[in-house]
Amino acid sequence: MNAAVRDDQLISAATQGWQAELDLSFTASADRTVLAQRRHFGPLRVQRPFYPDGPVCNVYIVHPPGGIVGGDRLDLDFNAGPGAHALLTTPAAGKFYRSAADEARQKVEINLTQATLEWLPQETIYYPGARVRQSTVVRLDAKSRFIGWDIGSYGLMTRGECFDTGYVHQGFELWLGEKPLLLDRLHLAGEGRIFDALWGLSGHCVLGTLLAYPAKPADIDAARAALESRSDVTLGISLVDGVLVARLLARHADAATQAFAELWRVLRPRLMQREAVSPRIWAT
Amino acid sequence: MKTDSSALLRLLQLVSPALPIGAYHFSQGLEYAVESRLVHDEATAADWIGGLAAHSIATLDLSILLRMHAAWNNNEVDEARRWSQRLIASRETAELRAEDRHLGCALARVLSDLGIAVADGWRVNEDSSYAAMFGLAASHWHISVDDAATGYAWTWCENQVLAAIKLVPLGQRAGQRLLDALIPEIPRLVSIAAQIEDADIGISTPMQGILSARHETQYSRLFRS
Repeated sequence: MNAAVRDDQLISAATQGWQAELDLSFTASADRTVLAQRRHFGPLRVQRPFYPDGPVCNVYIVHPPGGIVGGDRLDLDFNAGPGAHALLTTPAAGKFYRSAADEARQKVEINLTQATLEWLPQETIYYPGARVRQSTVVRLDAKSRFIGWDIGSYGLMTRGECFDTGYVHQGFELWLGEKPLLLDRLHLAGEGRIFDALWGLSGHCVLGTLLAYPAKPADIDAARAALESRSDVTLGISLVDGVLVARLLARHADAATQAFAELWRVLRPRLMQREAVSPRIWAT
Repeated sequence: MKTDSSALLRLLQLVSPALPIGAYHFSQGLEYAVESRLVHDEATAADWIGGLAAHSIATLDLSILLRMHAAWNNNEVDEARRWSQRLIASRETAELRAEDRHLGCALARVLSDLGIAVADGWRVNEDSSYAAMFGLAASHWHISVDDAATGYAWTWCENQVLAAIKLVPLGQRAGQRLLDALIPEIPRLVSIAAQIEDADIGISTPMQGILSARHETQYSRLFRS
């Protein structure tokens, strides 16, 4: 089954569903971070690590089917140990297709021990009628650093199709040891009012959340100043117990991605003492 | 379960605006919603408050309140603390988080002064949340879990309506009409809270988070959140 065949097809509830797992472990060697362990099962791959960015291990996560249907289950585990620094992104937008009944699930678990990790995937497109449960859970210690985002685009706006049936249950969590620092769990139901209501997405179809740790008040000021002039996103940035939380609404995924990439360029030198070099794949 | 009159009177004490915790200082993003003109009249105020009640208060505050009430009934202090931590971690802005801690510590001081010894350790405690102490008081005074959740929802609605009256601004009669529309919803909020699974507890009102964050730098303000 290739991406073209799967694209926008109504996949029957009888579809078995694909299980896919990817387990990556990063460790610091003498001069750079290496991908010390990789294990995969099913259609999830990682391309060969590359180093455009000094010792930082850059990897692209690839999902060859190109989209996820009801019944599919994706589990991604990223681990990084003392002194390691990895940047992970994706070469294309993620897609969850419509499902007649079965739920599609994706779980990203990130475990950091005195490590630095950036999780900067391209946006996820939720087709009308998708039934999705997805979460990103980051567990770290006080000496670890993390910047990550989640950008969801709900419906196919270019075709004028709103996300008016199905649901997306999405979570983004940051834990310091056993203590939750930030728990974000949203339930976006196509048939409810959340996409239009003024307390919800207020007519926007793109919602983004960026978390960065550890942040200080001066980082919030810098982040706000950098994005002050952008008029194509509705954005709020705050600091809660050392976590910078940026939340945005936009009409186009590009605007959300550009705003978060700009935020990342401001935050990376401040939190990770390293200039931001945008992954080249973002430009293609 | 029928609440006896002493439990009813305790609930009235707990939800009274005379309770010295300063809840009237907080608008939970409503002040910036008015500043940005998103909320600008009685109808938009009703939509805003009703939406937060259903997609934030029911699915987060009340669902955790029910769990903490059960924990306090069983003297499971660690369990109550874990739920309180989860509640606070679900507050996504500095002001919403500070508000919950402020109200939690303030209510702990009131309860502690009234002889509820368990509250002593929560007077100055970053794990203190309003719902944690509300649940403790309800458990201590034998207020049933449904009545406790109903009272919590009521006092939240009343506080939001008072904030709307001041901010939009609205007349006192408009305020009563808002409450008149919210009251029949409250039993539904309590039943949503009772049915929700642990993994689904959370807030689905992203605009509130954005506006609450923007409120931090609002030039002139009456409220602390």
